[in-house]
Amino acid sequence: MKRKKIIRYVLLSLLVIAGAVGFYIYKEYNRAHKDTAKLTPDYTVGATDLLKEFENNEQASNKKYWDKVLSVEGMVKEVAKDDRGFYAVILGDTASMSSVRCSIDSAHSNEALSVKRGGTITVKGICSGYNADEMLGSDIILVRSVISQKK
Amino acid sequence: MKNSFFLAATLIFLTTSGFSQKFYTKSGKIDFDATSASSPEKIEGVNRTATCVVDTKTGAIQFAVLMKGFAFERALMEEHFNENYVESHKFPKAEFKGTITNNETVNYSKDGTYSVTVKGKLTLHGETKDVETQGKLVVQGGKVNANASFNVLLSDFKIAIPGLVADKVSKTAKIIVSCSLEPLKG
Repeated sequence: MKRKKIIRYVLLSLLVIAGAVGFYIYKEYNRAHKDTAKLTPDYTVGATDLLKEFENNEQASNKKYWDKVLSVEGMVKEVAKDDRGFYAVILGDTASMSSVRCSIDSAHSNEALSVKRGGTITVKGICSGYNADEMLGSDIILVRSVISQKK
Repeated sequence: MKNSFFLAATLIFLTTSGFSQKFYTKSGKIDFDATSASSPEKIEGVNRTATCVVDTKTGAIQFAVLMKGFAFERALMEEHFNENYVESHKFPKAEFKGTITNNETVNYSKDGTYSVTVKGKLTLHGETKDVETQGKLVVQGGKVNANASFNVLLSDFKIAIPGLVADKVSKTAKIIVSCSLEPLKG
């Protein structure tokens, strides 16, 4: 009698654990990307300052900024739209070939519509690294970006 | 001796004064597809920030892409891609450096579709391997569209697929490149 009770308890608790694990796996598997608009920036910087930092020390800057949420203020050099309707906002100094290129999160595409060339804006995005290129100009790339402020 | 000096001088003269037209983009698209045949779901990522340069004179072609820039539909898949497979914190960039071996058959100033063979070295996950593929260059209105797709064996680049997901993640990845190149001024 006592033994049966123990077995029943054990089975029941195993079932509960299995259910919880299953639910966790299911949730984790279907987890969506975090909306960048809701993330707090790890660093707030100016586009040209950020470029200078990467130019001076790529390795240290990569260590500091890679995979971090950056809020970058700069002048809009260009707003590019590709054939699939994805936007990229390019920040920096027009006199320089180097820029901070921000791929706009497709859920926030409409925010890019009102961005004007020559205006100063703040873009929040996740730093995916630095592409050094002497001929084409070096770029810092932000992915899943959102426009956080217009001036 | 005199002859070779003359030849070298001519070569230097040609390379410095010769008209060299380059086409480039910084928003090239690269798809990565490692869906195995038996997988119920797609394992694919897309990167829209690839840099590509083509030198029309020499046929030299280069790509650079940041691994962290690959977007996957599922957050978990993207994290696994970055953390477990390509280890993008250690190897943030993938590069291809090669040449269009039949570059002389492409007339970059005449609209048309040209089939090309590209041969070169692909560096991914810190490993460099020779890659050869067929591609297409479409010259239209002073711009060049470059398209190619090829398969890489992930183990060639020391990317291990854990047994648990072996039925979903293929041992080879299909890389699809599509770039719209513009002439480089200056």
